[in-house]
Amino acid sequence: MISISDVRKHYQMGPTVVHALDGVSLQIEAAEFIAIIGPSGSGKSTLMNIIGCLDSPDSGSYELAGEEVGELLPDELAEVRNLHVGFVFQTFNLLPRATAIENVELPLIYRGVGARRRRAAAEQMLERVGLADRMTHLPTELSGGQRQRVAIARALVGRPSMILADEPTGALDTRTGEEIMALFEELNRDGVTLILVTHDQALAAHAGRMVRLLDGLIVETRAGVAV
Amino acid sequence: MNARAQLVMLWENGAMSFRSILSNKVRAFLTALGVMIGVASVIGLTALGHGASLSVERRLSTLGANLLIVYSGEPRGTSLVRQRTTNIAPMLTADDLAFINSLPSDLVVRTAPESSRNGQLKFENRNTVATVIGTDPDYPAIRNFQPMYGAFFSQLDMESRRNVAAIGVQTYRELFPDGRDPLGETIRINGLPFRVIAIMEEKGSPAQDASVFIPFTTYRRSLSGSDNYAIINIQAASTDVMYELQETIENELLRLRRVPSMEWANFYIANQMDLIGTVTGVADTFTLLLAGIAAISLLVGGIGIMNIMLVSVTERTREIGVRMALGAKGRHVMTQFLTEAVILSAGGGLIGVGLGYLFSWGAQRFGRLASVVTPDSVLIAFSFAVVIGLFFGGYPAYRASRLDPIEALRYE
Repeated sequence: MISISDVRKHYQMGPTVVHALDGVSLQIEAAEFIAIIGPSGSGKSTLMNIIGCLDSPDSGSYELAGEEVGELLPDELAEVRNLHVGFVFQTFNLLPRATAIENVELPLIYRGVGARRRRAAAEQMLERVGLADRMTHLPTELSGGQRQRVAIARALVGRPSMILADEPTGALDTRTGEEIMALFEELNRDGVTLILVTHDQALAAHAGRMVRLLDGLIVETRAGVAV
Repeated sequence: MNARAQLVMLWENGAMSFRSILSNKVRAFLTALGVMIGVASVIGLTALGHGASLSVERRLSTLGANLLIVYSGEPRGTSLVRQRTTNIAPMLTADDLAFINSLPSDLVVRTAPESSRNGQLKFENRNTVATVIGTDPDYPAIRNFQPMYGAFFSQLDMESRRNVAAIGVQTYRELFPDGRDPLGETIRINGLPFRVIAIMEEKGSPAQDASVFIPFTTYRRSLSGSDNYAIINIQAASTDVMYELQETIENELLRLRRVPSMEWANFYIANQMDLIGTVTGVADTFTLLLAGIAAISLLVGGIGIMNIMLVSVTERTREIGVRMALGAKGRHVMTQFLTEAVILSAGGGLIGVGLGYLFSWGAQRFGRLASVVTPDSVLIAFSFAVVIGLFFGGYPAYRASRLDPIEALRYE
């Protein structure tokens, strides 16, 4: 479903050119659970941004759901993100003044879905992540784990091709982190494609496949323990 | 996107903007304050200017309708109508008056010549000084100055040169402090006996209220001895013919005097149109000036909005990043912030309209100033406020829409 081949991306940092990605190729199948790991500076954030259509590669090809998305304009990328990508961030990134259900509705607003259908879909997703009784709470009235569940519901509500999770347990305590990972595994069993970006090897062990990045190159690929 | 999706977006933008404004009410209020004051001052000050202009017009129209006044003597600048007409050497002749009276009725409705001088008035042991005006029975109709009690002298009084007097209200109060009915009483003007036949209505100006009207024929015989007039009051048929009439009279009077131009004339004509034009012109200029100053304050209000919107965009960089990650396009972000700016400016404008009305009402109620809110000023000030919101909100909104989602998401 995702086909990345020989993708390169470099940045000018003062006098030196940093090769954030130096020819990366990667295939991700639908319903797969894949972890991308690597230390900071390895290029994993850049790879995540490109997979998430927040950024475009300098060269190489990126096909998402059969469509080349490597050279789209910013607005076209926004549309692809809206339809195909569900983001889960380390710091949740919920809108502080919007309630849980309003946060979850957000991607559907940008898709132009009417209020009633939006609300129904958001309610369904919040129930799915176990927050049926917290729908009208503001983020500040929720615990860290609950906030991340809202974020996951928001990522899922548009039925995207993939969930892109960037250190989703990084801001949570161990036990809550495990609960969130359990939820991810459950979603994956239901057929959701999951891409987990982390520096934590133990977390990556939950995935079906693990890709290790170093200095802009994939240095290791191996099947995980779980699944 | 289809039309329905556009509508959803528009609605959601409005809702989001409202929520964001309500979440920081004090700041929203302060942001909109400039526009509020701007709109209020445009409306309030225009109301004052317009009120002043109206009250001048109203006051001028109490002089009489379609009034043209021929004065003896040199023109005195753009003279306002001289209420006290004493000490004018009477240089308008019976021929002048005959010519004016000979003009067709689609030009001249009626005329009333007058001359005047100060006179010593006496009743029993009371003494007072007043302007004694010798004129014609048509005077009240032309100058819109009617008796409030009794009747003005008639054509018969005129022809019979009767010693009858219509006295101004102030003169009445001086001579009859006990408030008795003066009709039929005999007062003395410069020692001559006159029967009081009317009290004139109150005009509020001493020049008019401290006066005595007697038939011109009597005036000529008893007080002046001159056949000439100091003033000829003319009521024109309509406002449209006033300038034409003025020119006709000027030409004929110049010809009668064998004088080449008005520069050398011993008379001049005051035209009520000029008067109204001059005075309301001044008032209108004043209004424009006030509105201009107010508009500048509105502009400053707009800059205030831009300032706060820029801060708001910076503060919400991360929010913008999240929205973009979730699929918001540049124009979604742009319209969101534009909507917010317009809601702020339109809301401020709306409150400003209310304040403007309040200001106008207060000026009238407590400041005793004539103040009339014009619908034009409300419409213009409010639309200007909205346009200012769009204009000054435009730049911050554009900046927001051009943010890089990756950078915006990373922003702390």
